Amino acid sequence: MNAWHWISPAKRKRIIKQRYLYLMLVPAFLWSVLFAYGPMVGLYMAFIDYQPTLGKFWSSFFGGKFVGLQWFNLFFAGDEFFLIMRNTLVSSVLSIAIGFVVPIVIAMALNEVRYMAFKRVVQTVSYMPYFISWVIAANIFVTLLSADGLVNELLKLLGLTRDSILFMQEGRYFWGIVAGANTWKDMGYNSIIYLAAIASINPELYEAARVDGAGRVKQAAYITLPMLKPTIVILLILAVGNLLNTGFDQYYLLGNSLNRDYSDVLDTYAFRYGLQNGMFSYASAVGLFKSIVAFLLVLGVNSLARRMKSNSLF
Amino acid sequence: MGSITFNHVYKRYKGEARPAVNDFHLSIEEGEFLVLVGPSGCGKSTTLRMLAGLEEISEGDLYIDDKYVNYLSPKDRDIAMVFQNYALYPNLSVYENIALGLKLRKTAKHDIELRVNRVARILEISHLLGRKPNQLSGGQKQRVALGRAIAREPQVFLMDEPLSNLDAKLRAQTRAEIIKLQSELKRTTVYVTHDQVEAMTMGTRIVVMKDGIIQQVAPPRELYDQPANLFVAGFIGSPQMNFIQGSVTREDGRFYFVNKRIKLPVPEHHYPGFNRDRNGISFIMGVRPEHALLKADTGREEEEGWVRCEVEMTEITGADSYVYVRLGEQTVIVRTDPDKLHRKDDKLLVSFAMNKVHFFEEQSGDSVSLKGDAQ
Repeated sequence: MNAWHWISPAKRKRIIKQRYLYLMLVPAFLWSVLFAYGPMVGLYMAFIDYQPTLGKFWSSFFGGKFVGLQWFNLFFAGDEFFLIMRNTLVSSVLSIAIGFVVPIVIAMALNEVRYMAFKRVVQTVSYMPYFISWVIAANIFVTLLSADGLVNELLKLLGLTRDSILFMQEGRYFWGIVAGANTWKDMGYNSIIYLAAIASINPELYEAARVDGAGRVKQAAYITLPMLKPTIVILLILAVGNLLNTGFDQYYLLGNSLNRDYSDVLDTYAFRYGLQNGMFSYASAVGLFKSIVAFLLVLGVNSLARRMKSNSLF
Repeated sequence: MGSITFNHVYKRYKGEARPAVNDFHLSIEEGEFLVLVGPSGCGKSTTLRMLAGLEEISEGDLYIDDKYVNYLSPKDRDIAMVFQNYALYPNLSVYENIALGLKLRKTAKHDIELRVNRVARILEISHLLGRKPNQLSGGQKQRVALGRAIAREPQVFLMDEPLSNLDAKLRAQTRAEIIKLQSELKRTTVYVTHDQVEAMTMGTRIVVMKDGIIQQVAPPRELYDQPANLFVAGFIGSPQMNFIQGSVTREDGRFYFVNKRIKLPVPEHHYPGFNRDRNGISFIMGVRPEHALLKADTGREEEEGWVRCEVEMTEITGADSYVYVRLGEQTVIVRTDPDKLHRKDDKLLVSFAMNKVHFFEEQSGDSVSLKGDAQ
């Protein structure tokens, strides 16, 4: 008896009927297996003392000494643990707080624009940065914020400062700079989701509100925002799940030895130890810790959303 | 309070050759229940939306109570509107939905509470006040939408096909409730529908529209009995009026409606319409199904006024039966007693109550008897 016989005739019939749909799922399935679930085998590395030997990956991998939670203990007890966690959490929360609100505001503002050409131009200009690589984006920010950059020149011109502010050298500015850069890069692209959600709102609701006496602001408050709530909740759950996934590029490219106390996050820390210092097992433990926390956060926020009778992922 | 005047109002859309509303000129009296009826795309909803302030007026003037309102925003027109898809705010409870219009107008809180509760009592939705719209049935949603309009106590109610999403039974029930409410509240109501039954049963006056143009404005009975043109005659009444093509001849001072199959005397009250020079003009005789009679064909020669026909099919609706008979190349519907059974291919004789028939010019479609009287 093969597996096909375990499926009921009705289900078999449905599968045959929908075979092309299943065929279309194959690439996504293969991608998941190869790039999402397959690499999970490597998590084993976090529990062994992996010593890479040239040309003998599998024997080094499976022959490595099992050390249990040793690398986790080392990370938690390390001097840098609290600093890394603080940087990761604060920077991430700040990026979410700003980066989450701005696309909603942009989408709602664009929705109010009646002049279509202007609307299209603003939309295109705002989502262009999304397609710029972080290497270029980081260089733009470094140039803008340098001692003789545009920002300092403007501040001096407005009389807000006499001497140049060393934005990239003083760590206290770093979280704000990263949050701003993240928001600038993603705001236009993220606003498309909200614009699509707004476009699906029944126009009769706005007409009813106009007859009821609601102006633009009241219409946004009573119709647009509540109707966006399900989308906002779903995206918030996904964003919170990525709380520890600050992203690597921007921290690596905008960070320097002068602002490391503020710019070193889990990703850059794991990169430094794993690839630059060759401590693969330690870096795997840090990565696994990050994934477990992210998973728990998604579960927590999802259950909270469900309890609040909002939309939830599952 | 609540009279409305449309003064040669037009609505033109960019890129459209023909105006969506073409020279709409009408006065609506205070407390009147006016129904705009017509097929899809006839401009009835556009007219209502211009009255609501949701569409700009391209040309002409609009007055509510002698106040020029062309450029007034909807909230300043003292109107309330009931939409086809209810347009209830999904995030607000029934209470909040009804109260929002009052809250936005800064009505005192206790007054809002009083009004919402009173409206809820009238519409029998008091037990639903705490629910959200997605927890209501279609009929309940429509009541809430009505409640929202009533609570505001506006001068004018505007209703855009409010019953079209309800099933037949609920539609009839809600229709009766709206009629009752309107007669109690005595507020001017402009009601849009494509359903002629709704128009006939609800309106004190009906405006029939086609291609953005008013075809006729009249009370329901008058519209039914004296249609101004072929379109109105065909649109009002179900099943629709029978139309028989032919011409009119004069013999010994009397007019006859004739075609290949029939020769029928034209009643004298139609004579003024035919006395003018009508040589070579084709006419259409309109007969309502209830104004046609059937009797068994004995096989003898046709009596005057009776024409041989064959049964095509029979529709039994319960109280009535509609027999489709073939008269030459045309099919005529005859309303009969449902107890009389007629089978396909039965040979019968049909006659028409000539004092009830209508005559229309084929080319213009205008009624012969009402020519010159139509609005």
